[in-house]
Amino acid sequence: MAYTLQQLLKKSASLYPEKTAVWARGRSITYRELEEKSNQMAHLLQEYGVKKGDRVGLYFPKAVDSIVSMFGVLKAGGVYVPLDPAAPADRVSYILQNCGVRVLITNSEKRRGLDKGTLDELDLAIVLDADAAHSNGHTVMPWSALTNYPSESSPAVTLTETDLAYILYTSGSTGRPKGVMLSHQNALTFVEWCAEKFRIRSEDNLSNHAPLHFDLSVFDIYNTIEAGATVYLVTEDVALFPSVLANFIESKGITVWYSVPSALVLLLLHANVTREKLAKLRIILFAGEVFPMKYLRQLVNLLPTVDFYNLYGPTETNVCTYYKVEAARLESMEKLPIGIACENTEVFAVNDKDEMVTKPGDTGELYVRGPAVTYGYWADLEKTAKMVVPNRFQKNFQENMYRTGDLVSLGEDGNYYFLGRRDSMIKSRGYRIELGEIESALLSHPSVKEAAALAIPDDIVGNRIKAVISTHEAQPIKPAELQSHCAAKIPKYMIPEIIDFMEDLPKTSTGKVDRVRLAQASLV
Amino acid sequence: MTVASNSTQPALKAQIREFIQENLASVKGITSFRDDESLMDNGVIDSLGIFRLVSFLEENFGVRVSDEEINPENLKSVDSIEQLLLSKSKK
Repeated sequence: MAYTLQQLLKKSASLYPEKTAVWARGRSITYRELEEKSNQMAHLLQEYGVKKGDRVGLYFPKAVDSIVSMFGVLKAGGVYVPLDPAAPADRVSYILQNCGVRVLITNSEKRRGLDKGTLDELDLAIVLDADAAHSNGHTVMPWSALTNYPSESSPAVTLTETDLAYILYTSGSTGRPKGVMLSHQNALTFVEWCAEKFRIRSEDNLSNHAPLHFDLSVFDIYNTIEAGATVYLVTEDVALFPSVLANFIESKGITVWYSVPSALVLLLLHANVTREKLAKLRIILFAGEVFPMKYLRQLVNLLPTVDFYNLYGPTETNVCTYYKVEAARLESMEKLPIGIACENTEVFAVNDKDEMVTKPGDTGELYVRGPAVTYGYWADLEKTAKMVVPNRFQKNFQENMYRTGDLVSLGEDGNYYFLGRRDSMIKSRGYRIELGEIESALLSHPSVKEAAALAIPDDIVGNRIKAVISTHEAQPIKPAELQSHCAAKIPKYMIPEIIDFMEDLPKTSTGKVDRVRLAQASLV
Repeated sequence: MTVASNSTQPALKAQIREFIQENLASVKGITSFRDDESLMDNGVIDSLGIFRLVSFLEENFGVRVSDEEINPENLKSVDSIEQLLLSKSKK
């Protein structure tokens, strides 16, 4: 049994050396090449001082080299931090600084976009398209330098399954993103469960639709490698165009698909897909947001031989519950369950009296325990202590559990059903968005006095974002100017589409912004 | 209106550009882009924006854009969108 993620690659490289492991943008790499290239990267990283536990940033559009980098970092004992290549440089700089990244794997365009202060913190940048090594405060190495390093084996590093593997940054309510720390064991708990549940085989072709900084990609990459299968990375030029995406699924012979529901809804509505075109698909997994029932019914009717699963879980646990869609029940079902706990994980709901929910119909906040649960947030003990808490329901040994902040009900059918959030986190296109992070961005504009971000429910993407603001006296401001201001602080999917102005925002009796009244006004 | 053969190209391009700037770029905080710039690379167009753009082209220029024509070659930039409209007006 593997106790590190890179052992999955080592095994598959010995079993299927000449098989294609990863394909992206017309380029592919075999298992042997992936094993060797990542060994070389690990040696290079080690030579430049990367030690066990050191964070290494990955900052470029996803490509075959992304996967080489992930394994290279792990083999050096490091912890990779995938960064959104579309995020504002300011946010990327914050993340690099927050988790103390000294080594960055990037391309010249992305490197140029970072400010001098951020670059000065680096020891080394490995630049994909650099043509020669040079020094510029930090050492710049071209990707081609990898060939100078030994490929036969990885450097000796003592790792256990409790060591960190990667950090995924998600939206934070206080205005800055927070880094969810995931260990090898956290990841393997999920990967091994998926391998067993979905019977991924070496003949399978998996897609990778999600960005690499998004935890859905953990399944795509590591379950492919675990099984000796092939993963086809879906890049923006394909993902944005449903009919191009449908052709991609057909031509690559994709058998296992995993994405947010909105990608599947757009495929259904705009790609004119037929059963024949998607004939190779055997499993469709979706997660990240609620699948609108009417579209799910259409998709299940279109693809009656495909097994559909709704996977649920915050990044902090990856996936913790699942529901296998039952076509026969779908017509009469009003709401899709999030299902039952993954077999190697335990979940339970805790009600307002701090009791575990056991009766059907009762509701509570969902808690998760088991080896999938994160250690918490990088360098944020306060936030960690709020969310990763001692398990008070057993007294015999110490362990932590994760409070999801999600309210659920226990159904008559034994499944859990998602009801909503305890806080102001929302989902849009599967992305977690803390409305507080948007409000912080708005409030950082000198003209803005008060700001409230609101979620407007949407049939396809889950939620769209609206903001209501008030300004300081006599300081008129255009929505476009505010949106442009936000673009320097938060990712594009978080920028409010609509910005309304009010003289003063409505308040509750305790003086807080009255979100309920604002939301009601927005729906009219 | 339809794509008349005598319509001057700058006017056509200006209409495309104006729609994209006001409806797609501004809401992403993007204040400027070139006519040959990839609207996917710069993040102006996202998965829903594509369909707002197509609806605009269909309603404003009286053309029909099929699902298959919604691809990166046709919709990559202001220039390529103009080319798509011009090719339709010739048919």
